[in-house]
Amino acid sequence: MTVLVAYASAPEGREALTEGIKEAHRRKSDLLIVNIGRGHHDLDAAELKELEGQLTEAGLALTIESSILADPGDAVIQTAQDRGVEVIVIGLRHRSMVGKLILGSTVQRILLDATCPVLAVRPDKL
Amino acid sequence: MLDSAMAALASLADPSLLIMLLIGTVAGLIMGLIPGLGGTGAVAILLPITFGMEPPQALALLIGALAVVHTSDTVSAVLLGAPGSASASVTMLDGYSMAKKGQAARALTLAFLSSMAGGIIGAVGLTLAIPLARPLVLSFASPELFMLTVLGVSLAAVLSRGNIIKGVSAGLLGLILGMVGTSPTTAEERFTFGSLFLGDGLSLVAVALGIFGLAEIASRASQRRGQKQTISLGGGWGQGIREWLTHWTQVIRGALIGIWAGVLPGVGATAGTWMAYGQAVATAKDKRQFGKGDPRGIVGPESANNSVEAGDLIPTLLFGIPGGVPSAMLLGMLLTYGIQPGPSIITEHLDLMYLIVWSFAIASILGALLCFLSVKQLAKLTKVPFAVLAAGLVAIMLLGSFQEGGQLGDLWIMIVLGAFGWLLKSTGFPRAPFLIGFVLAIPLERYYFLTDSLYEGFDWMARPGVMVFLAILILPMIWAFIKFIRARRHTNLDDGHRDEQPEDDEAPLKNSTWSLTASSIFFVAFAAALISSASFSPEARLVPQLVSTGGLIFSGILLFIEIRRRLHDGTPKADETLAEKAEEGILGTQTAKAGWTLDAKFALKTFLWMTGFLALTAAFGYLIAVTIFIPAFLLIVARARLKVAIIYTGVLYIVLLALPSLLPIDLPQGWLNTLV
Repeated sequence: MTVLVAYASAPEGREALTEGIKEAHRRKSDLLIVNIGRGHHDLDAAELKELEGQLTEAGLALTIESSILADPGDAVIQTAQDRGVEVIVIGLRHRSMVGKLILGSTVQRILLDATCPVLAVRPDKL
Repeated sequence: MLDSAMAALASLADPSLLIMLLIGTVAGLIMGLIPGLGGTGAVAILLPITFGMEPPQALALLIGALAVVHTSDTVSAVLLGAPGSASASVTMLDGYSMAKKGQAARALTLAFLSSMAGGIIGAVGLTLAIPLARPLVLSFASPELFMLTVLGVSLAAVLSRGNIIKGVSAGLLGLILGMVGTSPTTAEERFTFGSLFLGDGLSLVAVALGIFGLAEIASRASQRRGQKQTISLGGGWGQGIREWLTHWTQVIRGALIGIWAGVLPGVGATAGTWMAYGQAVATAKDKRQFGKGDPRGIVGPESANNSVEAGDLIPTLLFGIPGGVPSAMLLGMLLTYGIQPGPSIITEHLDLMYLIVWSFAIASILGALLCFLSVKQLAKLTKVPFAVLAAGLVAIMLLGSFQEGGQLGDLWIMIVLGAFGWLLKSTGFPRAPFLIGFVLAIPLERYYFLTDSLYEGFDWMARPGVMVFLAILILPMIWAFIKFIRARRHTNLDDGHRDEQPEDDEAPLKNSTWSLTASSIFFVAFAAALISSASFSPEARLVPQLVSTGGLIFSGILLFIEIRRRLHDGTPKADETLAEKAEEGILGTQTAKAGWTLDAKFALKTFLWMTGFLALTAAFGYLIAVTIFIPAFLLIVARARLKVAIIYTGVLYIVLLALPSLLPIDLPQGWLNTLV
């Protein structure tokens, strides 16, 4: 089985990744990172190598995937359905009512549309 | 109203109209297939031919072409995975995947039927818009019309994808360029530098063909090889029809999104189709198949890209504010016939309006039918290398631009603007606001002075219509500002829907020396306009000065951003990004910037060829220039075989020789002919 981390280069994304790694170890599942930020993810090669080593030690695999769908929410759900993942881990952040009204919320989309459990985490500093 | 509609339908029984519609449809289908031409190219190439015709015939021809360009652009996207236009790249995602599974026929059936439906729904939308908008349009006075022109330019700039500052700068530069010639209020000459030729202003066809057509050729002429894959259609026609029927709600939704995208200036077919795709994905529970051959990924976008063109026509015809580039050119055509699009078109030319609607609907059906019948033959055209097509296209485009004014100067301007258009395209400046600005420059000024003389001070600002438009003008700006702030804070991952295309690789020279050059050109042009407008009379200089001041501010910001970026990261590290990518071995969305110098070199070479061709024309006349230029270009640039070059040149020569007797077309005469 697989744990999917919706990653973006922001504190929320980092927190999701940390939590996702823990979750993967706990469930003994492979880790799948989906980049939902604009452009390329900011995980550098060294960091990825370390993470991969850490996971391989536990007998788990690391995959990074991106989707052709432009909307981050859709991309996460598509990949999750495709790979039949066990759980989606996503970073959450506070957003005012007005902010939600104007900009919508990817997290909300994923929570409502996902066909598997979703673990939403918050970075402490916010 | 019904009478006019029926009368228009009856008039289509006129054989000459039907023939024009058919020719337009066939031409539109062919041009849809050729990458980079699309609706803009189709109208631009056909427009010059229409100059000698009656308005109904001309409209039938142009609308016929416009209605079907997005029907045929699917063919190459599905069969070869090479979209005929940017908007077809959406269909490619699912269509090509289906074709790879041997179900090309299924994908094409879905696409053609949806295109047809999109066209018909678009035509219905246009019909409904007439009675709905009629009372509204008729209540418009000059203040509202002035606001509409402002709205047209600024919405085009704000809504077109990419950088808003770049969009606004392009729109303002278009306005300045549109003011070259005689001032509408004081009849004094502006920015003409004493030239008699510039006194008439720049020719719309030359500007449009340069900025879009030649620029496209220059950026694609380096493709020496056509598509090699063998085409197999496979089965599934019946399955396609059945599936299409089950997804009828997607068809209607896609078409409505398309109409909406068309009505908004500058959004256009590409963004419209991505919006439709995003909508289809967002509302689907099971997203597994998207990108791997989901019929919903074909149906919605295909119906959207056809209805966009109909949606474009709504503001163009009813308000005189073009929604997109093809309709901006159509607007120019109507003006040359003395038909003033806008409120008066409803009272004076209702029959023409309905003729457009009927033509659009009939062409949509005809286009889909022709596509079904000739799909195999059409697909073969995409095997022709673009460089080979480019030779003929350059010859046709230059001939086309000559028709409007009959002056060689237009052709020189076209080549200069072509180079400029290439620069804009490669550095990520949207070109639609530029052309819309160019078209709206004179109406904007005329309505402003009408308003100014009819109302005391700023009284006109208090009119309800004006206030509504002001709100429409300001809201997207606030929205864009919010998005900008969010993007700066790097917390935009939670921005909900992001329906537009992922940052595309259409602008390979972004953030390079070239974009710095482009920003500098903008800055210098606005500065020059500001300085030279100081010598005009107060009335003639007001608008140019306002526009160029605004332009200076925006291009100044651009220049500042560019320079700051240079100081921060120095030159783009093409090799490093590539190496990094190779090391990681991960599919990224960022495009590597390697190889851009090659493209630039090739574009430069192509423009030198065009200049050479024009020099030959000026010296020896068009026919001789063609017989020298075409074989030389084919042999040296396109590296075609000798046999191909000879046949190509021969056919083109005969067509050009026969053309003036068939159509009202003049061939440019050279300096040599004046001696004989």
